[in-house]
Amino acid sequence: MRWLFTVIGSASPTGPGQSGDLSLASPDVHGPFSSVRLPKGIKAKVWAKRLSGTVGFTLLVQFSPDATAPSPSWTTIDAERLAAAGSLSLEKRRPIVAHFKTGNEALKLSYADTTGAGTIYAVVEVEASDEDE
Amino acid sequence: MDRVVDELGLVVENGFLVLFFPATQAALVFRVRARVNKGFEVFDYGPLPIAAGSALTTYLGGSAVAPEDGVLPPYSYTGDVRFPAIMGLENVRDKSDVWYLDKDDSDRLFHVKVSLSPPIIRADVRIPSGVSQIRFQRERVVGGVDGPLGFSRGSLEVVHLPGLIYGYRFGNDTSLPLKVYSRFVYAEYVVETPRSPELIFDVLQRRVPSHWLTMPVTYLDPSIRSALRDVYGLSEPWGFRLYRIDERDAAIKEYSAVLRRLKV
Repeated sequence: MRWLFTVIGSASPTGPGQSGDLSLASPDVHGPFSSVRLPKGIKAKVWAKRLSGTVGFTLLVQFSPDATAPSPSWTTIDAERLAAAGSLSLEKRRPIVAHFKTGNEALKLSYADTTGAGTIYAVVEVEASDEDE
Repeated sequence: MDRVVDELGLVVENGFLVLFFPATQAALVFRVRARVNKGFEVFDYGPLPIAAGSALTTYLGGSAVAPEDGVLPPYSYTGDVRFPAIMGLENVRDKSDVWYLDKDDSDRLFHVKVSLSPPIIRADVRIPSGVSQIRFQRERVVGGVDGPLGFSRGSLEVVHLPGLIYGYRFGNDTSLPLKVYSRFVYAEYVVETPRSPELIFDVLQRRVPSHWLTMPVTYLDPSIRSALRDVYGLSEPWGFRLYRIDERDAAIKEYSAVLRRLKV
């Protein structure tokens, strides 16, 4: 089993120094979502990342070992920062891998924005596959 | 080169197809006389037949409502699904199930390979519809998309026998409401049973190449007995039982008796 899907995140910070979670969407998914939980025995590889927005926009890929907890803890497993306003495309590099061993884990995309207002976008390609593939 | 299936995994003309039933420990052996849709095997069905607003059971113990046609809510699974005729297929024998073959279609089989998008969707098939066939430790546990075992992800391969309604089930054990689409690669075979018991013995000994498909039938439901009896003229032993290689004489004798009763 191998499922390659696109996750599109966006947010509209209203001022400098803000941070938060990106609202997510995907062609395979009905409606917006905030995080992705996959079944146990699956691993997710985050391949390409594309960012656009204002200078300083930092995309954070975050992982929780138990998103079902009352207050889940999130660990940043990857961060990419826009050094200048515009876009950044990161492809053809080793993927970030997240392992879903209990089915309670989750991935989400967050942002830290250091400069100010404007809509920011992030597009990531995620490949979900069986753990032994 | 003994090639029994083509690049799509479908049996070539004049190839042998073995359908083995764990419930009876017996097999049906067919020779494919023709493939009527050769070269036109792909059937993009579209969204799964899940109607917007329909209630689905969840793995968490409650229920969820499909927000849109073909959408499987998070942590939910369907009941038995049949594939109704879509536009252009209204003349099928049963509009509620494009894969249904009547008992009169005894020389026909549908070999169906279902692909799901996204492929993380769980799938199983119940033969007949409503009867779970996946067992663990004899009868102690019944499996399927609603449990931790007894399903596949993203694809299924099954042969539709005449006179039986199959029930497909699908499950989504992710946190996302997924839009699920189905695509079929199928063959409509015209089949016959080889009339030589020696050949059948050799096929079942795997001396003669065949495409061997184990049917998900661990319990011989009365409707399966009825279909095997009415369509193929079978009764106990419900097909060709497997014999050891040193039991050739006994096998040939039994196969000859089965062949005398077989209609196809």
